[in-house]
Formats: sequence, C-alpha cells, structure tokens
Amino acid sequence: MQYMILSVFFPVLAGVYLLIKKERGNRKYLLVSTGAFLVITAILVVLALCLGREGMFTLFSLTERLPILFKIDEISVVFSVLAVLIFLCAGFFSFEYMKQEKWEKKYYGFYLIILGVLLALCFAGNLITFYLFFELLTLSSFPLVLHERSKEAVMSGLKYLFYSLCGAYMALFGLYFVERYGNTLTFSAGGVISDQAVSNHMGVLLLVAFLMIMGFSVKAGMFPMHAWLPSAHPVAPAPASAVLSAVIVKAGVLAIVRVVYFVFGASFLRGSWVQTVWLTLSLFTVFMGSLLAYREPVLKKRLAYSTVSQISYILFGLAVMEREAFTGSMLHVLAHGLIKAALFLCAGAIIFKTGKTRVEELRGIGKEMPVLMICYTFVSLGLIGIPPTGGFISKWYLAKGALTSAIPVFYWLGPVILLVSALLTAGYLLPVTIQGFFPGEDYDYGALQKKEPSFFMIFPVLILTILSVVIGLLPEGVIGYLSQIIEKIV
Amino acid sequence: MDFVQNFPFFSIILSMFSGIISSVLPKRAAKWVNTVMIILVGIFSFILLFYMIGRGNSYTYMMGHFPAPWGNEIRVGVLEAGMALFFCIIMILSLFGGRKKLDEELEESKHSLYYILADLMLSSLLALVYTNDLFTAYVFVEINTIAACGLIMIRRNGRTIEAAVRYMIMSLLGSGMLLMGICMLYDLTGHLLMSNIHEQVSALAVSGEYHVPLLVTIALMSVGLAIKSALFPFHAWLPDAYGYSTVSSAAILSSLVSKGYIFLLIKIIYRVIGIDVFDGSRIIDMLFAFGLMGMIFGSLSAIKENDVRRMIAYSSVAQIGYIYMGIGMGTQAGMEASVFHILTHAATKSLLFIAAIGLTDVSGGSRKFIDLTGAAYRNRWAGVAFAVGSLSMVGVPLFSGFISKLLFAQAAVQNHVKMLPALIVLGISTVLNAIYFMKTVIRIYTPVEGTGSGEGVTFKNMKIYVVTLVCFIILNVFLGVSSQPVVNLIGQGLAMFS
Repeated sequence: MQYMILSVFFPVLAGVYLLIKKERGNRKYLLVSTGAFLVITAILVVLALCLGREGMFTLFSLTERLPILFKIDEISVVFSVLAVLIFLCAGFFSFEYMKQEKWEKKYYGFYLIILGVLLALCFAGNLITFYLFFELLTLSSFPLVLHERSKEAVMSGLKYLFYSLCGAYMALFGLYFVERYGNTLTFSAGGVISDQAVSNHMGVLLLVAFLMIMGFSVKAGMFPMHAWLPSAHPVAPAPASAVLSAVIVKAGVLAIVRVVYFVFGASFLRGSWVQTVWLTLSLFTVFMGSLLAYREPVLKKRLAYSTVSQISYILFGLAVMEREAFTGSMLHVLAHGLIKAALFLCAGAIIFKTGKTRVEELRGIGKEMPVLMICYTFVSLGLIGIPPTGGFISKWYLAKGALTSAIPVFYWLGPVILLVSALLTAGYLLPVTIQGFFPGEDYDYGALQKKEPSFFMIFPVLILTILSVVIGLLPEGVIGYLSQIIEKIV
Repeated sequence: MDFVQNFPFFSIILSMFSGIISSVLPKRAAKWVNTVMIILVGIFSFILLFYMIGRGNSYTYMMGHFPAPWGNEIRVGVLEAGMALFFCIIMILSLFGGRKKLDEELEESKHSLYYILADLMLSSLLALVYTNDLFTAYVFVEINTIAACGLIMIRRNGRTIEAAVRYMIMSLLGSGMLLMGICMLYDLTGHLLMSNIHEQVSALAVSGEYHVPLLVTIALMSVGLAIKSALFPFHAWLPDAYGYSTVSSAAILSSLVSKGYIFLLIKIIYRVIGIDVFDGSRIIDMLFAFGLMGMIFGSLSAIKENDVRRMIAYSSVAQIGYIYMGIGMGTQAGMEASVFHILTHAATKSLLFIAAIGLTDVSGGSRKFIDLTGAAYRNRWAGVAFAVGSLSMVGVPLFSGFISKLLFAQAAVQNHVKMLPALIVLGISTVLNAIYFMKTVIRIYTPVEGTGSGEGVTFKNMKIYVVTLVCFIILNVFLGVSSQPVVNLIGQGLAMFS
C-alpha cells in the first residue's frame, strides 16, 4: 500500500529538491542525481505494482464526501508502466540533448514532478483525486512547453493552459452531478450511477457524460479542441515533446477510460447520442489529423499532428465500446506511446546534430545517421500498421472490433477511415526515410559526413524501437492480462 | 453567566479604547498598542469560539441596564466568534505584511493616526459582527466608513484623495439607503432589536399587510450594503481605493471592510427579515443577477488592466460577485458557500496584495506589467506567494479557492432554476480568472537577461514580510485541505442565526 504513495511522492519531492537547490554549474551532479531519481522511481513503481495491488489508500479527505484515494487496477498498470518506460528513455536522451539548452535544472525538476503527477493519475481511485492531479498535470507540464521562453513558446503555453483549464472545468462540471447521482465517487468497473438516477435523469446524465468526455478529450487533442496540441508540443525541447506527445496526452485517454467505463458504465452510453457524436468526432479527428500532418513541412509539427490523429484511433476504439475494440485501444496506447516517443527522439537527434527542422532539408539524412534512421523507419512502419510491429496488432483489433459491433454506418465507416488514414500516415512518415536513404542522383556524396549521434541518444531510441516491435510479435501476454479487466467493464 | 460571555463586549471596548489612547501616544507605542490589542482580541475570540462550540446555542448579552425591547444587546453564536477570530488574523497579518511599506510611505506625524484608524476599524468590524441592534449596526457602519476613508488617504497624493472622496460619496449613499431602510423598518415594526423586528416582520408577512413598504425596505437595505461592499455595478470606487492606498490599507479594505458589510447583510437576511421572507421577495434574484454580472465584468476589467494592483482590485469585484451569487441562491448550501468564500477571498486577496507589493518594490516601484518581468526571481518569496494566491483564485485543488467553487457548484446543483446560469457563469469566470492571473504569474517568472537571483532581498532584511507571506499561504492551504470542519462550523453558525 505504502509503496504506491511513495512512488507518487518520491519523484515529486525529488523534482522540488532539484528546483530549489542552488545552481552551482555542476552539470554532472545534476545528471547523475536526475538519473538516480528516475531509476529509484521506476523501482518504486515496480514494487508498488507487485506488492500494493490490494485495497485502497486514503491520503486525506478534502471534504467528508471527497477523499483523496488511491488504488491500483489493470488499467493503472498499463498506463504507469508506459509512463515510467518512456520517462526513463526520454530522460536518458535528455542528458545529451539538453546540453544545448538553458535552464536545465528547471527542466529536470519539472520532468520529475510530471512523472510523479502522472503516476498519481494512474493510481487515482476516484474522480476527485483524478481531477486534482489532472489539474496539477496541466500546471506542471506547462513549464516544459514554456521552456524556450520565446514569444512563440509563451503564446503556445498560454494556449495550452487555456484549452486545458477549459477542458478540466467541463469535466469538473460533470463531477458535481456524478457526486449527486452516483452511488459513490470511487471508480468501479461497470459504473457507479444509481439505477434510479439513470431512469429519472437520463437526459441530464447523458449531457454530463458528453461534457466530461469532451472536457477530458481536450488533453487527448480530439477535434474541436485539438488546436493547442500542434502548437504546444513542438515548441518544447525534443525529449519533452516526446513525453508530452507519448505519455501526457494519454492522461486524457486514461481520463476517458475512467469516466466512460468506471463512472458511467459502457452499458449506459451504448447506443446513445453521446456515442454517435463521439464516434463521429473521433473519426473526423483521425482523418483530419493525418491530412494536416501530410501537409506540414516541419518534422516536429508533423509528428504532433500525427499524435492528434493517432490518439483519436484510441478514442475511436473506446467509443465503439466492444471488447475487441477496447483491447485494440489499450494496445494502441502502448504502441503509440513507444513509437511516438521514438519518433520525437529521432527528430530531436536530427535537430541536435544538424539543426535541420524541415522535412525537405532531410535529404540524405539516412546516409549521415544510418542507425537512427533505421530505427525511425521501423517505428514509422509500426505507426502505419505494417506487420509485425505493434501498430499492426492494435489496428487489427480496432478494425475487427468496429466490424463486429452492431453500430449502424460506423461498423464499416470506421475501418475505412482507419485504412485511409493509415495510407496518409505512410505518406507523411515515409518520405523522410525515402529521401534519407535514397537522396537521388544529384546528391553530393562527397560532402557526406558521418553524424551518428552518441550512445546516449541512440540507446533510448533503440530500446523504444525494439519494444514496439516486441509488442507486435508477442501481443498475447498483454492481451491476456487485459482480458481480465475487459470482461468486467465492457 | 460565564465570564467568557463578556468577551465580545471586552473586544469591542478594548479596540475602541486603544484607538482613543493611541491619540496621545508616540508612534512606536501606538504600533505596539495596536499589535497587542489585535492579538488579545484574537485570543478572546478564539476562546469564545471554543466556548460557543461547547455551548451549542447562541446567547444574547445585555449592554447597560435596560432589558430587551429598549436596551442595547450583543448576540453571539459560533459564526460571530469565528468571524471575529478570522478578522483579527487577517488584520494582524495585513498590518505586518505592509509595515515596511507603511514606514516608507507615511509622513512621520501620520503614523500614530494610522494605528488609531486601524483600531477603530477593528472595533467597528467587531461591533458589526456582534451587535443585535440595527441602529448600533448603523452607527458602526458610519465609524467604519470614516476609518476606511482615513486608511485610503493616509498616504497623501492626488490619486488617494480622489479615491477617498469617491469612496466617501458612494459609501455615504450606501449608508443613507441603509438608514432609510432601518427607519422604515422602525416605522413598520416599532423595534430596533433584530430579534424583535424579526417577529414583527414574520407576522406582517403572514398577514400580508404593508407588502410594498416591506419590499422597499428589503431593497433599500440590500442595495445600500451592496454599494458599500462593491457589488457590480456599484464598484466604481473600488479600483482606485484599493489600487493606490498603502498596501496594508488595500489588504484590510478588500478582505475585511467589504466582508464586514456582507456579514451584516447576511445577519439582516437571517435575523431581521428572515430567510423565508427574503427568499420570497424579488430582491434575492436581483442580488443573484448582479452577482453573476460582477463575476464576468469584474474579470473582464481585470484582464484589460495594465497595473497589477488595480488588476487585483478588479478581481475583488468578481469575487464579491461570487459571494452575492451564493447569497442569491437562497439556500442554506448557497449561504454556506458564500460565508466560506468570505474566508477564502479574505485570505487570498490580502496575500495577493502583499505579495504584489514585494514584486513592485523590486521592479523600481513600477506597477506596469512590462516592468514586472522576472520580478519573481528578484523577490522569490513574493513570487511564490503570488503564484499560490493566483492558483487559489483560479480554483486549483489543494487551495481554498477550489473548495469555494466546489461549494458554490454543489449549492447550484440543488437549485433547479438557478443551476444553469450559476454553473455557466462559474465556468466562464474560472477561465477568465485563469487568463489574468496566469498571465501575471508567467510574466513574473519570465527571466530577463542580466538579473541575478534575489539581489538585495534576503530573508534577513525582510523577516516579518516573509513570515507574513508564509502564514497567509498556510492559511490558504489549511482552508483548501481541511475545509470540512470549517464548513461544519459555518453550517452550525448559520443554524444558530434563526
């Protein structure tokens, strides 16, 4: 039990310690301590997941009916493992990358705090705890967006803050009603709304569910509240973008999983107008995100638009509310997390070594950094959904889930749009590889220099690539593990 | 009768007499008398609060030798004692936080005058809180106005004198309306003691006699006190008065003076008019509507403001709108939320004013946003305190502002007619609050080239200031984390009113 709370508090305290410590210009000390803190957190999380599975832990009570409560279930395990993995990899990557950036101490401080807050979100046991840490996540990730302190960064940061606070307020609006009509605020598989309230206040509750889904999906970048994401993610330093795009947007996904499957219950929403609107919006976002990414010339921005599209794959799977689609969503959470982190780290390594940010400048990049670009190619194939990578399995389940569901129109429209978007994904990711490895006849091979990034940068990318392929090769373990909880909630 | 029951009387007399004595004392002595007096009154109120919790019901205390319908009375319940304690805490923290600034800004001869005014202010606030007699309330409303004017213009320059004159005019308009209301009530009922009027008003409401005069009376008293507590659209005097006076005055004015009037209004609603009669009148909807408008327009004005002190002042308009919205809901839950927000706002707004002065001081005394860039690095404590205050006002969990909003929303959900407008405006105003407070926090944390950290501002040379800020932050987090006992006490206190 206590491990759980320790794994939340330790990184936050470590981050605060780094922030308030006097700067002495001793970079090595900073890196070693950050690395040590990250590893200790990972160990604490593993301990918590192994030993702290039973029961709940109440930290304190905000008011009589609103305790701050933690508990661990299968969903928490998936999300917390992903968070820790990506934070470790991106943290390792930052040790090299952040050399060129100012205010490093601040960066690592907030980096650790965000990890703690994310873990708290994964372990949150009721809606008010979740809301509390959701707000704190916005506030603690805000400095990462602001990191450059340029005009662009400040404006994107404000946009991020504004959208997130609006979204969080919409969600809070729902919380008041859930407190009134629910049996309890604690998440429980299958929903907490009392039957009497369902029959008496159907209309209001559906509206509330819709508002909560819309509010939390701001963090996940679903249309029409997606505009902050493509501007906020790329302005952060590359490892921070990786974390923002791969993990922090998943907080929105986790929120929706909790709201739909643990507060309202899938059976309550299935077949309602909320489901229809949600499916429409998520499919539209899938298509629109890919299209915008296809048109975007700056690599990091292209990846951010890709996040918009890919997260909506996950949301689509959740909106279908069938077992296989849900499995697909959870697999895509993992696959997209690993892949998007790897892609952003690749983009970061390219910027670090060459300073190039636009896609058309990247001709011949594969000749300069072969290992990095091979990793890039592998994860790109994964994101497109070509076997045997992780993306294939998840999209397979998503499409199969949609096809077997009985939702009119969407049962065929969904898979079609997923396919079209996969084509677009190939269209926006592969040109970098093609141009990179086959620069064409007029390419000046004489001026070619080997620019392969150092071990610190390559290693995390390699790990992420391997993991994303492994998920595709051996998905049985994850699927088997998830099936226990899916039985209960869908 | 227990000896403790004398404490309210002692508190009022003590604060008033320390004002009188201070007029012949030198500056330092006046300061000490003031400090010791506030602490003593605070201790009295604290003991009284525990006595009241143990006692479980309210009591009235006869002033002088004449019994009830003729004499003057004090009435004490849990809420009164708690409010008195809270006012003392905020007052002493505000004075400590602004003391350094006070020493710089005031002429030598004015120092003891300032403490006299502060003493009188506290005595009038305590009297407003404790009195059971409407006319006594009116007298102390006037004393309060005069003390407030003095506090505004004690730092003599053109802006403060103009602000004080504006405040005086608006305030006198308000007290005039209150006085007319009291006169009409006296005509209708023949009484001045709250409990006696209440009986008569209930009888009138049942019989249906004098319906229109009663309505006019309620309107006059509500609007009068609304003007005095700067409810939108009667807030024109507020930004100058809070924006240009010395910082302690601004903190005291925003967190105590307007709150004293609101508390008086709540007392009138419960103890004089009766909550049922008040709910039945249209006035309550008017207060609700003006509260909602204040929440939006106050924030909009704050967004447009380019001067940090005036921005905080405009934010008060919005926050007072919240309080009136809660009162306007006409439910027990709404009233509890309002009283809790009185505490929240007092604790947060004085923190913001005092933190802002620390920031402007290290920015060459300029209050323009552009000059505040990076101020949080030059004065770290003020920066952190300002950030905490802002987060609380925006309504981030763990701070008191969140609990206020939660209580308001919970109250709104119970009221079917007013639920939708209340929740929508609450949402809009939260976002607007976030815009201007976060804008300021980002501004003060944006580094500028060539400034070291904490130049000249160390813990040593501003111990009192830092300790004050820390106390305020603790108060805020306390209200945010363990709000349940406080809310329970408020509920208990409101129950004792009727």
